[in-house]
Amino acid sequence: MKHIGLILLVWFGINQAGQDIYVCKNAVVNIYSKAPLEDIEAKSDKGTSVLNTGTGEIAFAVPIRSFVFQKSMMQEHFNENYMESDKYPQASFKGKINEKVDLSKNGTYPVTATGVFEAHGVKQNRTIPGKLTVNGGNVSLATEFMVACKDHNIDIPTLVFKKIAETIKVNVTATYTPNK
Amino acid sequence: MKRSLLFAALLCLAITVTAQTKKDTAKTSSTDSLMNSLSKPDKGEPVIATFKATRLIFTQTTETVKKKELNFLVIHRFGDLAGAQGGGKTFFGLDNSSDIYIGFEYGISDNFNIGLGRSKYEQLIDMHLKYYLLHQTTDNSVPVAVSLFVKGGFKPYHVETNIYDNFANRFAYFTQAIIARKFSRALSLQVAPSYVIDNIPFPLAPTNENNFFANSAAGRLKFSKRMGIVLDYFHPFSNYRNNSIDPKFYDGLGVGLEIETGGHVFTINLSNAQAISEINYMSNTTSNWGKGQFRLGFTISRIFDFNKKNKSSY
Repeated sequence: MKHIGLILLVWFGINQAGQDIYVCKNAVVNIYSKAPLEDIEAKSDKGTSVLNTGTGEIAFAVPIRSFVFQKSMMQEHFNENYMESDKYPQASFKGKINEKVDLSKNGTYPVTATGVFEAHGVKQNRTIPGKLTVNGGNVSLATEFMVACKDHNIDIPTLVFKKIAETIKVNVTATYTPNK
Repeated sequence: MKRSLLFAALLCLAITVTAQTKKDTAKTSSTDSLMNSLSKPDKGEPVIATFKATRLIFTQTTETVKKKELNFLVIHRFGDLAGAQGGGKTFFGLDNSSDIYIGFEYGISDNFNIGLGRSKYEQLIDMHLKYYLLHQTTDNSVPVAVSLFVKGGFKPYHVETNIYDNFANRFAYFTQAIIARKFSRALSLQVAPSYVIDNIPFPLAPTNENNFFANSAAGRLKFSKRMGIVLDYFHPFSNYRNNSIDPKFYDGLGVGLEIETGGHVFTINLSNAQAISEINYMSNTTSNWGKGQFRLGFTISRIFDFNKKNKSSY
């Protein structure tokens, strides 16, 4: 029976190896644009994220095509004219969480992440604030930030009759599970 | 017992090694490779916006109006720009209109449309159904987009002769399979084999066929995000039309500029065909580019959305 104990110990070791890496495959991303004529809102639940709590590294990506708009014509224009999703299929963030968070204690921790935010093929150095919540081993992250269209060469032509807001509010919620 | 202990020890060693390598990969590749494996696109997505609108110059495109959207169309063809009927005396054809079409298209679903329109030419009232059968995919597992199009036309005007004594003679039909491919962001091409059924063919000639095949070929080349050049061509495979001397029939050829402004699509074009509805232009194009019998035309397409308005939480 001795060896069973050994095997269990090793098994435990394997789990231990991946313990500080958390993944999320269904992060929810909302974008809002307030325009004089109409508020525009779109949602994607296909965001992916990896969080390394050991090093504080965080990576995030969302496919542009996965955003769903209420009006399908807007969705088409969003992909075809503004985000050019065939050329730039995803928006991403890659950086590091500046604060050290103790994941063994439950609670909500205000954090900031500094890194590179990429949308429409343009990279921007950003520090993005967020909230990290720990609840009994579950880790979730919520953040909200503004993206200026002109920072990412997303041009809004004067020919467009409906005015589109020049800054877009982005809202992200991700619930992580330990990577196995 | 000893042997089994040895075996267990070996097993443990093996597992420890795998655990070690796993730990290593996790360390070295860190979040990057994990991220890549997570965000890898798993399958091809449907290609969108093969064309900007449901029509180019003459022909339908594979595009449909999406669910609960209404497309309002105004299509106009002026008179001959040059030649005997054109020039300064008609202000290059602007004083005449060879055809005016006003129509509506509605999306019953994203892939299924119903449409209604009226032409000045032959006073044709037509109704159509269009179904987006196959979507081209980004991974090329489906290399082309295919839409099916059926149109029924009715000529309601009063005549003094007996040609409409049989009421069925007022009807004509048109059916088309539209096959398109978006080759790049800028270039989309399509061919559309078609079949025309005229219950009474015009012009009234003993050799004129009631039914004939036809083909359309068209394309769009975008030179900016919202503007493109469109080219449209059709040919009826009709013995009568190909051999008739008087009247002489010509293939249709149109060239245009397409401008999209978010909800509106404008097309300004030059073409020889006088008529706008497929039933008319396939059967009856007797104007010749070479004789100056081409005209300025435009298409205005405006989408109205009847999906419920967005209540933002912004």
